[in-house]
Amino acid sequence: MRKNVLIAAATVSLLSACGERAAENQAQVTAANNARATPAAAESSAPPAAPATKEEAQKIMHERHEGMEQIGKSTKAIGAQLKEDEPNIGIIRTNATKISELAARSANWFPAGTGPDVGKTRAKVEIWRKYEDFAAKDADFRKAAQSLKGLADSADVNAIRTAFAAMGKTCKACHDSYRTEKKEHD
Amino acid sequence: MIEDAASEAAPKPQKIAIWDLPTRLFHWTLAALIAFSWWTAEEHHDDLHLYSGFAILSLLLFRILWGLVGSSTARFVNFVRGPRAVSGYLRGSWAGIGHNPLGALSVIALIGLVALQVGLGLFASDEDGLMQGPLAHLVSSDTSEAAVDLHEDLFNVLLVFIALHVAAVLFYFLRGKNLVGPMFSGRGKADPGVEPMRPGKGWLAILCLFAAIAITRWIIAGAPPFGG
Repeated sequence: MRKNVLIAAATVSLLSACGERAAENQAQVTAANNARATPAAAESSAPPAAPATKEEAQKIMHERHEGMEQIGKSTKAIGAQLKEDEPNIGIIRTNATKISELAARSANWFPAGTGPDVGKTRAKVEIWRKYEDFAAKDADFRKAAQSLKGLADSADVNAIRTAFAAMGKTCKACHDSYRTEKKEHD
Repeated sequence: MIEDAASEAAPKPQKIAIWDLPTRLFHWTLAALIAFSWWTAEEHHDDLHLYSGFAILSLLLFRILWGLVGSSTARFVNFVRGPRAVSGYLRGSWAGIGHNPLGALSVIALIGLVALQVGLGLFASDEDGLMQGPLAHLVSSDTSEAAVDLHEDLFNVLLVFIALHVAAVLFYFLRGKNLVGPMFSGRGKADPGVEPMRPGKGWLAILCLFAAIAITRWIIAGAPPFGG
């Protein structure tokens, strides 16, 4: 019986290690929700008009791919700094700026006719079926990227960390619903 | 008449201790967490998936330690046998409790595969670094992304071995040997004269569990000072 109690106690100690992280995550979620609560500029419910030619469509898809790739690299670079004991604010600032500049263009990256039927892309057709929801999520990302950039100018690492986590949630929100799994794509 | 006399004379198989509590808890918790890990991966619950992986890592470390100092049926030296014992078992010359020589191979394969799967997860990272194992920073981005692919592929291999494991249990059940019951109750039928499990020490089980959790927490922290 005593053995059972001790096993239970050990399990609790393991869980408590997770608890610390859970509190951190809660803060991130709250930050993300706050970002969503701010009134948005007019969000379109219809995608931008389809490009006139296939070449134009593929040009946009290429720009989109490169842009997303750079956003991913910059995100990774910031994340790596935030894991350091003394993060390099300069690197964070440069990459936060890159992300916010690319994010500002993201609203134009998904016009009609740039889906998987046109070329190789992990963008799902659901984007254009539920464009209003997609556009709202994309707007959340833009706002989060802006606030991260704003905070990167300060040297407040904790605030940057919170804003970064909040932005990560906005990336994930879209990717979970509107990006094809890597395996299915390859 | 002769048969009746014989069956009355021979003592019936008795229920004896086979599996201790730590080994049973390990088994069922591992099974539940593997299912949970799969679900969290499918549903993109990244944080839960990582926690599930850490819990599995703790379980594996515990089982390895318990396999060194635990009860008689939990110890690797008592059940991991060579090919001679396996072929002997297949010819029917094995009388004992716990993992039989063939089942031992399945145990080693399953523990090995789950360990490899957890190991890959520790080094894995997605392309934007939003979901990362705690040791991803020790390897290059390419290695981390390759680990993700292998992590996905290896799960299918693991599923095959789990299916084989379940099929084997079913096979024994159809031949009149219930393996699931003892894994719950700890006790099962054995031929007369077979020695029951010698239990391990309770305080050693606790020590193994704490050691396993400590090592896991050290890995979660990025394995300082090597990766600090």
